[in-house]
Amino acid sequence: MTPGPKQQRLGGANVPVWDGYSLAERDRRWNAVRAGAAQRGFDCIFVPLGNGTDARYLTQLRCSAMALPTDGRPPIVIADRGSRNAWVPEPRLTGRDWAELMAQALLDLGMERARIGVAGLLGGTVSHVRAIDGVVVHTAYDHVLHRLPNATFEDATDVVGMVRYVKSDEEIESLKKATAIAEAGVDELVKQARPGLDAAVLYARVMGRLLRLGSEYYPLALHVDDIDATETVRYTNPPAGRVLQPNTLISSEVSAVWGIQVAQEDQPVLLGRVPDAWKPVIELQREVFQAGLEKMTPGTTMGELIDFVNGFGAGRGLRTAILMHGRGGGDDGPLLTPRVSGQRVRSLRIERGNAWVWKPTASSADGRISFTWGGDVLVTERGGEPLFKRSHGMVEAIGG
Amino acid sequence: MRKNAAEAGFDCTFVPLCLDGRNLHLSLEQARGTRSDGRYLTQMDSAAVILPTDGRPPIVINDRGEGNAWTEARPAMQGQRGSWAPAMAEALLELGFEGARIGVSGLRRGRVTHTRAIEGVINHSSYVEVVRRLPNATFEDATDVVGFVRYIKSDEEIAALRRGAAIAAAGIEAMVAGARPGVPLPELYAQVMERMLELGSEYYPLALYAGPMGGVRPRFEDPPIDRVLGPDYLITNETDAVWGQLIAQELQPILLGPIPDTWKPVIELQRDMFYAGMEFMKPGVTFGELIDFTNDMGRQRGMLSLILIHGRGHGNDGPLLTPQHRREEHIRSVVVQKGNVWVWKPIAYSADESIEFSWGGCVLVTDRGGEQLVDRRPGLVSIQ
Repeated sequence: MTPGPKQQRLGGANVPVWDGYSLAERDRRWNAVRAGAAQRGFDCIFVPLGNGTDARYLTQLRCSAMALPTDGRPPIVIADRGSRNAWVPEPRLTGRDWAELMAQALLDLGMERARIGVAGLLGGTVSHVRAIDGVVVHTAYDHVLHRLPNATFEDATDVVGMVRYVKSDEEIESLKKATAIAEAGVDELVKQARPGLDAAVLYARVMGRLLRLGSEYYPLALHVDDIDATETVRYTNPPAGRVLQPNTLISSEVSAVWGIQVAQEDQPVLLGRVPDAWKPVIELQREVFQAGLEKMTPGTTMGELIDFVNGFGAGRGLRTAILMHGRGGGDDGPLLTPRVSGQRVRSLRIERGNAWVWKPTASSADGRISFTWGGDVLVTERGGEPLFKRSHGMVEAIGG
Repeated sequence: MRKNAAEAGFDCTFVPLCLDGRNLHLSLEQARGTRSDGRYLTQMDSAAVILPTDGRPPIVINDRGEGNAWTEARPAMQGQRGSWAPAMAEALLELGFEGARIGVSGLRRGRVTHTRAIEGVINHSSYVEVVRRLPNATFEDATDVVGFVRYIKSDEEIAALRRGAAIAAAGIEAMVAGARPGVPLPELYAQVMERMLELGSEYYPLALYAGPMGGVRPRFEDPPIDRVLGPDYLITNETDAVWGQLIAQELQPILLGPIPDTWKPVIELQRDMFYAGMEFMKPGVTFGELIDFTNDMGRQRGMLSLILIHGRGHGNDGPLLTPQHRREEHIRSVVVQKGNVWVWKPIAYSADESIEFSWGGCVLVTDRGGEQLVDRRPGLVSIQ
């Protein structure tokens, strides 16, 4: 007999997470995933252990796995720590073993010879865009494959991803709130930033502001380098030992999470006066930001938007480059950065209800001056509509 | 690690691409621990490592191919984002492991690492491609090969944990200073996190339980929205700080009111368990012995007691003994060693289990037994 108290919890303490979306929103998501699965000929969509982002999108649970039949039957959800919610009132609970429960869920749904679409097996077009090798745990998934030797398993990341790509009204409301929190974080950054301040303290004050307003954790990203620095360091934790100096340029990605929507606001702050050489670059960035908003109307392809933005600065002897990525539950696309050419998404069409962080870059001809500014944008019939209220430009934090 | 690999008969130890903690999030510790072996071996946030047993230098692969003072690194894919599989497979082939016995860390839960990830932490799609590219090699779990190196801390690691524990203690001081009836819980949460961040800790979520005494207190790992501290609230917590990539943890229950008399013997038992366990955990003692010693202490006073302990390090360290892990037979034979560090927080219960009390923090094993890394005293803080 094991000594100690008689009570024994299953899988640790329950951890409440935000789960405020309506049942109508649940049904919208599940039915849209079913429709996408049917179009691709899948008998069900399987979200295995490891794909936490899609699982939370489909269940609102902190950690879960799911098998969603295409034919309209309810899904089987596996969750830990006794977690349940209005969307999934009766998940199959586990301690820390997931593999057999996942296999059994598929078998119980009659999928032993099915064509099973696996979300998160590989990076997708508009979700898991930075995880080219996907997000599935090997040993657990391998067990499932062995238990269903006659089923076929294929990547279906885009089946869920393309549903995530278009935001509902409820999601947009959450993203607006997240954006407002992120803007409050920017306000705090501007308020605190001054020469002599420990950069770790700056980091702490901004994070503190975001947390007070109820944001889930998402790392603040900071660059704190001299405006003339040619190489910069990106910090996603407090920059211990760094002290802000006159002419420090603070570039930031201030993110906040509300309603499982990750917002991001990008506001450069300079501890000094903006040099004259920067002004035409900043002005160009303002124009390309605005012109891009007008260009991103529903129906436009990403290829058209990429070409428009990347060619925008050439007529002035300056350079512009697209920089944007989707907003949502995390690792949303399309992802267009200096490291990602966008070939994969050129034919992807912009749709009403898309949301992304829009922050094109303008640079001087020699590339020594580069300016990025932006924030969360929602696509409407008229084009992009910023969800934030800040004015464009570099903030000069002179102090005193 | 090479020595452990040689003893296990592996030609090399392979730490493949592992999942990110946001997607594989079984718990805070597990999420932080997913990429912990790569971080331990390279100091890089996400790295794949192939370490030949024969003494040759390792090949390290990361996203951008950026090295550091410890090692060079190869990019997973030149310039662009891409699969890690080709770079990992080619590195294994280049080192001559096409027919080798390859030990894979993170394939399954280990005895002292990845303890909450029973099915491991390895990315499926890239790993199966590596296995496919080396059809004559054998791949076997080697989580303990790395784990038992991580299990014993060096002087540098102990110094980092000591600093982390001090930061966590400062976080607790901020909590004690800020906890009052009427204070919104997100405000308290933010005050504690802010204090630890300004002292340079990496962000590691505070775990906060707050509610009326005797009621259910859910665990919050983000700011508890729309909740306000009330009179007679009991606040328990796991206050973690990260310094030098190592996670320290200190716990301090706080009561917004006077301590009821019925709690006092339980708190006293817990204090005695804490100190007695520290004396008991000398090098050479087995975990089975420590478990039995701790779990028997309460019975001698007509109460109940239970071991609660887990390793400290880069994340998801073990041994892991919690109320839901009390039957962990596979670690009973693990021996306590000098240089182990864990969070030691045994639980005392009243006889009817209606009162439960845990207090603790980071403890280093020395020749004389356990030694706290930061000077704090067991007990329940009462704010009146």
